[in-house]
Amino acid sequence: MYYYIFDLKKCRKHSQVADIKNYLASLGISGEFTYPSAATNIEELVDLGLSKKYNTIVGVGGDEIADRIASKLIGKSEAMGLIPLEASSDLAHLIGTANWKDAAENLRYRRIIETRIGMSANGSGFLTNLNLDLRNPTEVTLEFRDYLVQARATSVTISNFSQGIKKIAPDHLDIVMKNVAPKKAGLMATFSSLFGGKNESLGNSIFRARSLRLFTNSQVNLLNGDYIVAKTPQLVESSDDDLRLIVGKKT
Amino acid sequence: MENNTDTIIGINVTLKGNLHNKGSIQVNGNIEGEVRSDENVLIGETAKIKGPVIAKKIEVSGEVKGLIDASEKLELNSSGRVYGDISAKSLVIKEGAIFVGKSTSSSTPEKQGELNKVPAEKEETPKAESVENKDKLGFFSKK
Repeated sequence: MYYYIFDLKKCRKHSQVADIKNYLASLGISGEFTYPSAATNIEELVDLGLSKKYNTIVGVGGDEIADRIASKLIGKSEAMGLIPLEASSDLAHLIGTANWKDAAENLRYRRIIETRIGMSANGSGFLTNLNLDLRNPTEVTLEFRDYLVQARATSVTISNFSQGIKKIAPDHLDIVMKNVAPKKAGLMATFSSLFGGKNESLGNSIFRARSLRLFTNSQVNLLNGDYIVAKTPQLVESSDDDLRLIVGKKT
Repeated sequence: MENNTDTIIGINVTLKGNLHNKGSIQVNGNIEGEVRSDENVLIGETAKIKGPVIAKKIEVSGEVKGLIDASEKLELNSSGRVYGDISAKSLVIKEGAIFVGKSTSSSTPEKQGELNKVPAEKEETPKAESVENKDKLGFFSKK
């Protein structure tokens, strides 16, 4: 019933794979264990798991394996599980734990939520966030359905799930943009820094939308953590369908 | 980052088009177009809006060139500058604020209905004499 896909890059030592397998066996939720390779990538392994009629596909690893499995399982009846290894804090928060043993327990209890994911037009999905890889302040244009936003941004984050952002609608993405606020000179700057640097927060923007298009003057990567999900210009939207995700009891 | 506001337009950000929200909106940047919220609109000192602003409660500390329609309350702070007609059930204009336009109360239901048809109403209504109200004596200030 369980089809496990290991991201070996995230295993600290080879013995960790054996430890996880043994623990899963002790919980009575052992299954088929697979590993992506040059010959068979994560997406192909998911297809294989589905063709073998497994009803739960479990990623063992971090954000990349989670996103790539989620992209394949969106709108399907099969559930997705995750045993986190070096996962981001947002992803750990989404599934309810950063600890692989606790996550394995959660698989056994099988509490499933239905959640949307973010999708880029190239078919890559993301469970948590996408960040525009900006090294310097860059002219960014965000095109929403009814309006257009332009700014010289220092960071742009498109969030499907983030601990720091209160989501207002399940089918909306939250877009947080930071840009360079003008510096106050002399005495004003001193006052501003003494009283919490209010000027800096004035440079923060937040937008909520089902979809948006991102444009930059030159091509910029959209990253989740350290892996590239897409590049600009790019259409990013909330998925039309739900993902069935196994989470912890407290999530 | 303020999380209790649906949309925040940061300083030095330019938004062109119509921003319609169910939740509250905070503006610190520039907007060319309509701003409409079912809740509150907070227009910061650095904000410049060219276009109508329609919401339940509106607080203006920046500049608005366009009509303002607050179904509940409009507060024009001392740094606020409004060039356009305003309609509000409750109006507060603080000392130092600039208001050039005419104001109407939208307390009666019939009037409220009329004011919701913003663009059409403006053409039909005879233009009132412009008034620059610096409110030096604090007649409009709320104590």
